[in-house]
Formats: sequence, C-alpha cells, structure tokens
Amino acid sequence: MSERVTPQEVMKALSAVEDPVARRDIVALGYVKNVEVGTNGVVLTLQFPASASSVQGELVVAIKRAVQQLGVEEVQIHQLASPPAPTRGSALIPGVKHTIAVASGKGGVGKSTVAANLASALQQQGVAVGLMDTDVYGPSIPVLLGSKEQPRVVEGKLAAPVEYGIKVMSMAYFLPKDEAVIWRGPMLHKTIQQFLGDVRWGELDYLVIDLPPGTGDIQLSLSQTIPLTGAVIVSTPQDLALAVAWKAIAMFNKMNVPILGIIENMSYYVCPHCGERAEIFGHGGAREAAKKLGLAFLGEIPLDPVIRAESDAGRPVALDSSSPHYAAYQNVARAVREQAERVGREAPPISFE
Amino acid sequence: MWPKSIKLNTPNHTVWVEWSDGHRSAYSYPYLRDHCPCATCTSSHRGGATASPSPNPLPMLGAQALRPLRAELVGRYALQIFWSDGHSSGIYTFDYLRGLCPCEQCRPFPAHGA
Repeated sequence: MSERVTPQEVMKALSAVEDPVARRDIVALGYVKNVEVGTNGVVLTLQFPASASSVQGELVVAIKRAVQQLGVEEVQIHQLASPPAPTRGSALIPGVKHTIAVASGKGGVGKSTVAANLASALQQQGVAVGLMDTDVYGPSIPVLLGSKEQPRVVEGKLAAPVEYGIKVMSMAYFLPKDEAVIWRGPMLHKTIQQFLGDVRWGELDYLVIDLPPGTGDIQLSLSQTIPLTGAVIVSTPQDLALAVAWKAIAMFNKMNVPILGIIENMSYYVCPHCGERAEIFGHGGAREAAKKLGLAFLGEIPLDPVIRAESDAGRPVALDSSSPHYAAYQNVARAVREQAERVGREAPPISFE
Repeated sequence: MWPKSIKLNTPNHTVWVEWSDGHRSAYSYPYLRDHCPCATCTSSHRGGATASPSPNPLPMLGAQALRPLRAELVGRYALQIFWSDGHSSGIYTFDYLRGLCPCEQCRPFPAHGA
C-alpha cells in the first residue's frame, strides 16, 4: 500500500454501498460501527440488523470491493451479533395490516350486523378479511354469516372457519347453543388474547373486530393487547344512542385509538307498500354528531325488514348486488379503507441497543 | 403526543424517546424506575404524577444492575417495562412519559432523581 487511506475516505466509499432491502446506504443505516486503518489494511466492524440477514452475504462482498477500490489490499471484517429485531405491539398477529374495532356505546344499534356486512363489503373489494366476534356474552357473528363449520386445531393453533371468503372467530363456536358465558374480567382478557394469538389469522389486510356494547373489560383488553388501527362507531340517529356513543369515543380517545368515523344505522325506513320514507329514529343525527366532533361520517344504512330476514338466514345483505344495501355498504367499506390508510400511524418500534 | 421511536440503551442506562413533535427525551433507568406509575410504587391512588420522593426505598439492585429486561407496547397508548429487579406492573402512558421528560426545556427545575 503506497499511501494510507483515512477512515473518512473509507466511510465515504462505504456510503456508496446500498442495502437492497432497506434501499438506503449502509452508513446511513448505521451498519458500520467502526473503521480502523492499520499498517496492514482496514478493519471494519459491522453490525447487520436481523432484517438484513438475507442480503448479508452480498453486502459483505460489496463492502470489501468498495474498500479495495481505494487501493487497500487487506480488508478485515468483524461482525457483531444482530440486535434483537424491534418489537411492535402486534406481535400476536404479525400478518394483519389493519385492525378495525366496530363499537357503539349502546346495545341494539346493529353493531354486529354492520360488522358482518362491512367485512363482506371489504371482501367484495378484493382485500383479505377476518372477522373476530369479541361479544362473548351474546356472540352473533356465526349466525349472521350462516356459519356451520367449526374451528379445527391444526398444529397447535385454531384454524378459523371461512364464510363467504372471510375468516371468522367467535365464542359461539365453543358453546352449546343454549349455554351462557358467565365470566368475570380476567377470563375475558384471556379470551381476547387467545382469539388474537391462538388463531391462524395469517395474512390479512383487515381484521374487523365486533365489540360488545359499552366501555368495559373487553374493550379495555383489546385496546391494551394490540395497537388498533382505529375504531368505527355505530349509532342510530336518535339522541339517546348518540349520547352513549360519545362515551365510546371518549374511551378510545383515552387509549389513543383513532376514531375512523361514525356509521348511522337504521337511518330511515322506506315503506315497501307506498314507498314513503319514514325516519323512525330521526335522521342525520349521526352525521351532525360526526361534524360536531370533527370525525368522518362513513355512511348511512337504511332500516329494512330484508336485513332482518337475510341476517337470520345467514346471508349478509352487503353481498346481494341487487339490494340497495349493497351500494350503501360498498361506500362504507371504501370510506373505512380511506380512513384506515389516512390514520395509518404505525406503532413506534422499541429497540434495544 | 406519540413516540416515533423508543430506544433502550443499556450501555448508557438510558431510554431514548423521539416524539412526534421532534422532541427527544432521555430518561435514565433509575429515574424511570423511581417514577414507576403503578399503584404500589405511588403508594396512593392519585396516579403517577404524585409519586412520593422515595418510591423504591429498598432497591434490590444497584444502579448498575438495574435495567429493563424487556419492554412492550400496551395497545397504542403506553409502554410497559419489565425491570431486572422483577417489577413490571408500571404502565407508562405516553402522556405520562412525555410529562416526565427531565430535559431543561421541559423542567427548568430538575425533578427528584433526574
């Protein structure tokens, strides 16, 4: 070697080497921990993250070549062990992109029906969807989807029944028809964790989570166990239901869960005989409330005996392209996806150094 | 307020948090352990902000040995730290953690243990 290179020159040469996975240069990514220039050549200390393990070999070759091009003959490389991969809160369901909770303050506003139809509409739009029924006291999702299958245990994990292309999990699968769940909080917490961690959800774009009414144990457990993408609030237009919906919104605000918007269910009723529109619970109340709160209004679903009949028969109305509800739910699904992408605030990575 | 990243640096006994507004907070391990917001450590039900001056009067480990073994997110609103002294019931909400920032800008008068 005629003349010694400086560590700065080495760093400069290394900054031309790019990690093909991260698509940034290895200096900016912090892989180069130390550069030592000695009489015999250059000693590099490198540390690759676990995410670069697949390209580590080719990176080492490229790094050697880059330094050799400076006229250095001897390039020694020390590698430090990869630090543990950063953990994110959703380690329980690593393949799920978005988790959407469907909530309301009050019971009986049609949360489960909306959740089942929202999942169906999402599925129609070509995204991979799961539907988790966390209402352990009154599980109704399997009935709404006409689910006859049972979850099976495959290699130590539960394989969820698939209905209309949607992976489904519910407490209803584990209970004889006329038996009830009579549990206190800790059991509920365990159930939520098992529904998330012990079920093979696989790769999903959306996991729609149907919540029981209120602001209790299940809502709390869910918000603590996974970083929810957001919550969708279902309400009827009447003031009473909206007043309780505010409480659900307040709870999610406390837990830092973004509210994706409000859906007005039972928005109005069109008489099948005379075609006249009757606004049984009033109309537009949820839209106004959303406006007041600065939240997105995701759509309105009219009240229709067809919904009741089809739901009892296990056929989501959102799948029948001849029904007026098809379009309504398609719009709701589009609005939910837009909002989910918009809030797409990722959970912060936690790393050890 | 939302952390963009959380780094636990054991050689420096420091937890680094970068916040969504760009602010960076550095918390020493003993400082965080002393400000554990759990009910046992605060010895009252008034919440973490009123932590008594000596929440950990009989430390099991010296300052050098005290470190987080593990840290996890709680939903999307808090950080839970599993300390090497066996304690793990403190849930540091992001709001609480942000308010705890010991830097001069955030605290002209340094808090106890900072």
